[in-house]
Amino acid sequence: MAPPTEGSPARSPEPESVPKPSKTFEKRPFLLDFFPLETADQTRLHRFYDRLRAGRLSTTRCPRDGTLHWPPRTACPKCHQEELEWVDLPETGHLYAFSAVLAGAPLGMEAEVPFAVGLVDLDGAPLRLFGRIEGQPWTELRIGQPVRAESYDIGDGRVFYRFRTVG
Amino acid sequence: MSGRAVAVVGGITTKFGVRPTTWAELAQEVGAAVFRAVPELRTEDVDSLFVGAAEPERFAFQSHVAPLAAEQMGLQPYRILQRTELACASGQSAIRSAYAAIASGLSDVAVAVGIEKMNLPSMAEANSAMACVMDRAWDGPHGATAPPFFAMVAQRHMLEYGTTEEQLAAVSEKNHRFANTNPTAHFHEKKFSRDKLLRLPVIAPPLRLGDCSSMTDGAAAVVLTSEERAKSYTDTPAWVRGSGQYSDFHNLANAGSLTQWSGLTRAAREALGRAGIGVRDLDLAEVHDCFSISEIVEYEALGLCAPGEGGRFAADGRGDLGGDLVVNPRGGLLGCGHPLGATGIAQAVEVYQQFSSTVPPARQVPDPEWALVHNLSGSANVHSVMVYQRGGAA
Repeated sequence: MAPPTEGSPARSPEPESVPKPSKTFEKRPFLLDFFPLETADQTRLHRFYDRLRAGRLSTTRCPRDGTLHWPPRTACPKCHQEELEWVDLPETGHLYAFSAVLAGAPLGMEAEVPFAVGLVDLDGAPLRLFGRIEGQPWTELRIGQPVRAESYDIGDGRVFYRFRTVG
Repeated sequence: MSGRAVAVVGGITTKFGVRPTTWAELAQEVGAAVFRAVPELRTEDVDSLFVGAAEPERFAFQSHVAPLAAEQMGLQPYRILQRTELACASGQSAIRSAYAAIASGLSDVAVAVGIEKMNLPSMAEANSAMACVMDRAWDGPHGATAPPFFAMVAQRHMLEYGTTEEQLAAVSEKNHRFANTNPTAHFHEKKFSRDKLLRLPVIAPPLRLGDCSSMTDGAAAVVLTSEERAKSYTDTPAWVRGSGQYSDFHNLANAGSLTQWSGLTRAAREALGRAGIGVRDLDLAEVHDCFSISEIVEYEALGLCAPGEGGRFAADGRGDLGGDLVVNPRGGLLGCGHPLGATGIAQAVEVYQQFSSTVPPARQVPDPEWALVHNLSGSANVHSVMVYQRGGAA
């Protein structure tokens, strides 16, 4: 196994086409890295990230009882069967609650302070997701405000989702 | 309750604060202190040790802490040795496990200790440790620390019920006033008037600095034993009469109503039901004021007042000396600080000391018989409740 490169965890040698870890990633040693591992060799939920990279926010649903899960799962919490379906989620929603981090941010997020977070009721799906709220200063946000989900590259090739105010 | 009766027969809380001491040194300090606090206790009496420690792997880069604590405390347990972790309820978990072990007959004399070291050279790393009690891979990447979550609870409570900033400050003011009577409290020396609290900086809107419990170092320990042995340690055992816990979510998406903590209502019903009492029988309650809004929601979830009336309950002093019952006479998490693993133990120490009339008169609850102790974990996704009854002479 090659010795670890600066800022990346010790893993088998990476192919040359993978981008060098960015400065943001260097600030997040593996054991303090909030972002998940997203590849098929690390998670059975890699399809969530594959679909997100293609611009689709999705989750699993149990075909037996129709329950939508959050987060996506590998086994139904009710009937325990493991043949779950992937379904796209609505991209829009409304703020149920929100706040902002003005102090005490975790490692790697200090430069983003102040940042807003909130719980978003998705339009047409019985899910209320937590996420970053981008697009307006936190002082201008209002409960009930419409937002849209978007995917973004976190800086090292991995993706995650957040919400952005619309209109 | 099935099994034999179990009591807390003594205990001690170390000084909470920003301590120039390591995790292991806190263990050694509380180990020496508990033997001074319970003079009849001898090392060889202690057959079991339960160590409440939320995140020593993160804060102290130390795992396998149960035998480390035992060695630091001078103990050699020979029945049960266990580290309990339930985030902010890790200390109460240690007591619950000790209680279950003694009630079943597996242990006769146990120590339950809680230890947390949270102040580090890198507070950003400490904040990361706090955030990873949430669903790290799904909520963590957005920056889900405790303050913004409880801030959303406060926001919804204000929207749904008209709760005000002043009512939040009433909780902090009460608990800081009690902390001024408690030399072990982190903020023992600091005075916080309502005006001062309302001018402190905003941490996560609408919560200000005074609405948030702090990152604090500290340790506490209690001794538990059976009905056969309690009298050899104390004349005023604090009998465990009820226990309940409930958890129904972890990811924030599954929290449901932010303002109605039905998990606490269920855990309290279980604990009070086993004790055979109602919430109106309580003389004091040590509840989990990790944030001022938490105590307000807890009044409601416990049934001390109707949903939405918690702010008024606080502002009217109904949780203060002279009120319906005394809530957080110790000073709460707001006044004492919140060393995660130690808090639940320190609450039990307060109950024991209130029952034995060994607290400063300025916070002594008059003739208390029944006490409730509550801790939540993480984003109020677990609730843990125990009920104690005073035994022996007043």
